[in-house]
Amino acid sequence: MERLDKHRGNARQVVVPLVRRDSIGASHHVLTFEFETALEASAGQFAMVRGASWGESPFLPRPMSLLSGGKRPSILVKVVGEGTRRLAASEPGDMFSVLAPLGRPWSPCPSERTPLLVAGGVGVCPLLFLARSLTEQGHRSIALYGGRCSTDLALDEELGAESDLRLATEDGSLGVMGRVTVLLEKALAETRGRAKIYACGPEPMMAAVVRLAREAKVPCEVSLETVMACGYGVCLGCAVPKVDGGFLYACSDGACVDGYLIDWDK
Amino acid sequence: MDQQVRIGELTLSNPVLAASGTFGYGLEYEGFFELSRLGGICTKGLSLLPRAGNPPPRIRETAAGMLNAIGLANIGVEAFCKDKLPRLRELGATVVPNLFATSIEDFVALTERLDREEGIAAIEVNISCPNVTKGGLEFGVDPTAAAAVTRAVRKATRHQVWVKLSPEAGRVADVARACEEAGAHALSAINTIRGLSIDVETWRPHLANRTGGLSGPAIKPIAVRMVWEVCKAVRIPVIGVGGIVSANDAIEFLLAGASAVQVGSASFRDPLATIKVADGIRAYCERKGLAASELTGKALLD
Repeated sequence: MERLDKHRGNARQVVVPLVRRDSIGASHHVLTFEFETALEASAGQFAMVRGASWGESPFLPRPMSLLSGGKRPSILVKVVGEGTRRLAASEPGDMFSVLAPLGRPWSPCPSERTPLLVAGGVGVCPLLFLARSLTEQGHRSIALYGGRCSTDLALDEELGAESDLRLATEDGSLGVMGRVTVLLEKALAETRGRAKIYACGPEPMMAAVVRLAREAKVPCEVSLETVMACGYGVCLGCAVPKVDGGFLYACSDGACVDGYLIDWDK
Repeated sequence: MDQQVRIGELTLSNPVLAASGTFGYGLEYEGFFELSRLGGICTKGLSLLPRAGNPPPRIRETAAGMLNAIGLANIGVEAFCKDKLPRLRELGATVVPNLFATSIEDFVALTERLDREEGIAAIEVNISCPNVTKGGLEFGVDPTAAAAVTRAVRKATRHQVWVKLSPEAGRVADVARACEEAGAHALSAINTIRGLSIDVETWRPHLANRTGGLSGPAIKPIAVRMVWEVCKAVRIPVIGVGGIVSANDAIEFLLAGASAVQVGSASFRDPLATIKVADGIRAYCERKGLAASELTGKALLD
């Protein structure tokens, strides 16, 4: 598979201030940075973000999917560990080192297909960026957004503004009760094989989405999320098993890759 | 002030190299800075045949560092010579291929393959990878085995031969001396130290390989101590590596006796880390009115 060296070639590292932190409940936060020169990023690309004041721990930057590019790029942070806790606790004016844009963006949607965006929890980030890009291109997408409960659906209003949005929660607190795959089965039937799926979320969710895509014979791209040390193809820490053996690397073969290439059973 | 340093018969433009396994094949950094600005580039460990590496998870962040068990995933020596080396030559990079094999025969075959190539400053023999089931540490912890590899590689090439030492040898100075006697032109010290990290919820190790090599600032004091010990034991140049993130870190290694340094995991979090360290050493030398080579062994340790 072709590696997108040209995307890494565009990446630059800047030290920039946080200008906004918008908290959505206790565990989700949208962080917005201010760049001197606009960040030219495409939907599906990511950034490596590290607080300038972090010292030696946490040692590494965090890979964060971009919610937008431009002069004020933003990311969505869900607190899962020490790095994201620090990100979430940051205040406007705090300085961050940001290396971006990184990774392979989503591929274009053929005009004869309906873009079906499937988001699980914090996986909404690259899909909201995609929905906005598709809207700009005159594509109307169907977005399916699932989580355990309503607080997992942090950006439902924003996504709803860009798409025909359907929600699902496992506890039934928002949208239909159940998993996002329930919505997908219905949307696949509706679009009768003329869809292209873009999915991002927890691994079991993406595995289930790819399974349904295969049954419906519909192309399916996924945005990979793994631990990473570098984000640009040298640490080799972000290996993901391939169907035909070997590995692909989430940072440089992805983040966005054909979901059919991945061995979801490993 | 003059930044050149000599490593055996080789002159480096400055004392900062990129450490193996943290700099890919060099070309990954082409978009970030001019590769010729580095003292040298130690490539990802190369084997005779391509290797896919270990299953994930392969890395785990730890306090002031990280564990890795990549398993020497690499494109193989042939692809390196064909697809990477010509461009590295074109860019004027000082290239130090790092070699990994599971037998002396394979080390020799690798060395002979690289001996046919121009534009190689030295080869670095990796007898210290902790993340492969065979061939890594086996050679690195035993002076006799380390010497046997070194001797065989020396015989197979006109290139300068560096040996990368493991901190896991009971007495690293003994392995260092054995490699010197077997003809090594220089030694790199140290590789990572095996560590283990356990998920307290699942009770499983964080890495699929269970153990991984610890790198980063957490290991720096150990590395500086070992470099000091190795420098006392041998007369050949020593290249210090382990946890360097700043110029001051690098200078500690030089003062302990190293003639040059390698910057490793710091490149992961900052692709410009190597260049920043080199610039910082230059500024320090200006301030002290010393050439970089004059720093070597200046620590008052006796």
